Amino acid sequence: MLAPQPQSDESAAGREARQRQLSAADLHRILKVTQALASPFDLTTMLAEVVNAAKQVLGAERGSVWLYDDATDELVLKVATGLDSIRLPAGKGLVGLCARTKEIVNVPDCYADPRFDPEVDKATGYHTRCLLTLPLVDHKGALVGVLQVLNKAEGSFDADDEALALALAAQCAVALQRVRMTEAVIEGERLRQELEMARTVQLSTLPSTMPSVPGYDVFGTFEPAELTGGDTFDLAALQQGLLVVLADATGHGIAPALSVTQMQAMVRMAFRMGADLETAFVQVNNGLAETLADDRFITAFIGLLDSACHTLRFHSGGQAPILHFQAASGTCAHYDPTSFPLAAMPLESMGPAVVVEIQPGDILALLSDGIYEYRDAADEQFGEARVEAILREHHDQPMAALSALLFDAVRAFARGAPQEDDMTVVLVKREPAMTGAFRRSFDALQALVDFTTGFFARHGVDRALLPTVDLAVEELFTNMVKYSPGGAAEIRVDIATVPGGVEVTLTDYDVEPFDVAQAPAVDVDLPIEQRRPGGLGLHLLRRMLDRIDYDYSRDDRVSRITFRKTTTGTTTPRNAAQTGSGDVRD
Amino acid sequence: MFAIDAGGEGVVVVTGRLDAAQCPKAQALLDGVHGAVTLDCSGLEYLSSAGLGVLLKTQKRLMASSGGLRLTGVNRHLQDIFRYSGFDRIFEIEPAR
Repeated sequence: MLAPQPQSDESAAGREARQRQLSAADLHRILKVTQALASPFDLTTMLAEVVNAAKQVLGAERGSVWLYDDATDELVLKVATGLDSIRLPAGKGLVGLCARTKEIVNVPDCYADPRFDPEVDKATGYHTRCLLTLPLVDHKGALVGVLQVLNKAEGSFDADDEALALALAAQCAVALQRVRMTEAVIEGERLRQELEMARTVQLSTLPSTMPSVPGYDVFGTFEPAELTGGDTFDLAALQQGLLVVLADATGHGIAPALSVTQMQAMVRMAFRMGADLETAFVQVNNGLAETLADDRFITAFIGLLDSACHTLRFHSGGQAPILHFQAASGTCAHYDPTSFPLAAMPLESMGPAVVVEIQPGDILALLSDGIYEYRDAADEQFGEARVEAILREHHDQPMAALSALLFDAVRAFARGAPQEDDMTVVLVKREPAMTGAFRRSFDALQALVDFTTGFFARHGVDRALLPTVDLAVEELFTNMVKYSPGGAAEIRVDIATVPGGVEVTLTDYDVEPFDVAQAPAVDVDLPIEQRRPGGLGLHLLRRMLDRIDYDYSRDDRVSRITFRKTTTGTTTPRNAAQTGSGDVRD
Repeated sequence: MFAIDAGGEGVVVVTGRLDAAQCPKAQALLDGVHGAVTLDCSGLEYLSSAGLGVLLKTQKRLMASSGGLRLTGVNRHLQDIFRYSGFDRIFEIEPAR
């Protein structure tokens, strides 16, 4: 039998009770009622069963179970016939005394015992003659609660009853403990399922495919932590431009997952309804400030990319670092947030957005702190320097591959240390200029056409410009072949997108200067017998291109010809006849 | 790809891209035509100044013996080139429909 450990000041009655042998009939009664304790899985039913068992075995009129809450050191009355739930500091009253001493308290005549508090009787109208209060202690000797039975049907509780009660109490304690643990498991499972559901909602709002942006390679991905985290991202081609979002809600559990989901929906809706960047930022912030709990906020980067002008405007509410890998220098620029986190407090208006010029090959890299603050076993953080090093080394990779490399690096760094926060990567890269080297021969013309055609397709450049660009490349290239036969074996061609079109540079090494811009004008009005084919090519280019510039380096003996052709800059025939074209020196 | 073929009585058909690399081939065929010649350009996608040179040389030769080149099926890009070069005043040009 499981019973409280003897105490030095235990009562004579208690000692006698424990020494008694329970009769076979007693054991049978206990066994019968405790069978009923095996089935309940919820606490309310179990408490009722315990009270019933105690009433039956001890022949009592009423019974109650006080559960011990060790977090508050209180006794909580969940079930009592005719009474509502009450909390009582452990140590107070007869129940408290029992909890402290873990000893039976038998009061044969309540109103003769100064420890008895008649207030409860006054409140309920019930008359308590005698009572038996006994501790419920589990296998390990920890207090589970206190069982109290009132008014034995005949007379008062005697030593036999105490022995019976102690045997019963042990059974009740174990049964109650089992149910409490089961409920804790069920509660944990319920929370887990709710979290899973919140995660599903969170994931469902992420873009399933990456938007196609001419001249850009954009990629975003999200790797949730097992239990908590509130990251989200968005990449969407909208009327206002390419929407670029990375956000991270504070807190743990379900709330942040739902907060960022709400934020993401609000951002999309604001832009769909035609808001500009500032309006969207202010409205989303103020909407969230109204609805989110006071201690919650969301760090968020919200940007719009103009892929024709290659500018990205953004506001960042506390979201940093914002890295801008610059291909020309191979270094990273950092931008600061423009505001406090979303929902921290209402905003009246915004200051100016940050405007980032994106050059060919540049990458805007947004990573959540789940990556920067990933800790290895030695508690070191992954940090910015590692991210920058990966950008420098692998910027020429497709963005999906670069993202995978970042995650690989984080895992290699962690060496098994668990992921504690969501990890999100958003990468926006402007395609670099394309470079080709072509043999100094007319035979290379087909390869040049393949080169320009491939670039136009990959960067989504308006194909209506292609014949003119091809014409310009051929005229300039064949000039170099014809007039600089002693030059290097290959001529280099670079092509990059500019707003509404392309810019092409032909570079000829180890040659004498030949300024195409200075070539003599052709008189197109001459009669046919006076017309000569020479100079026609450059004449056409001056008419058909937006601009053409020549540069010669005497030190290196390098000629560079750069021209630009755009849809907006197309010279009209009338203007061309009157003024020639823009920057060309006739 | 560029191709140039005699397409029957007084007609020459050019297709593809007439760039500087293809001019010798075009010149060789056109050097063999006489009289009034129709150059069917409906399949000609591209022409550079080198190609203009071929056409100019041929036109001068034909005109010396009261012949000439008439260009048919000329696309927008080629029309621009003929206009900017003043060659629309040297050849009879019929735009593509």
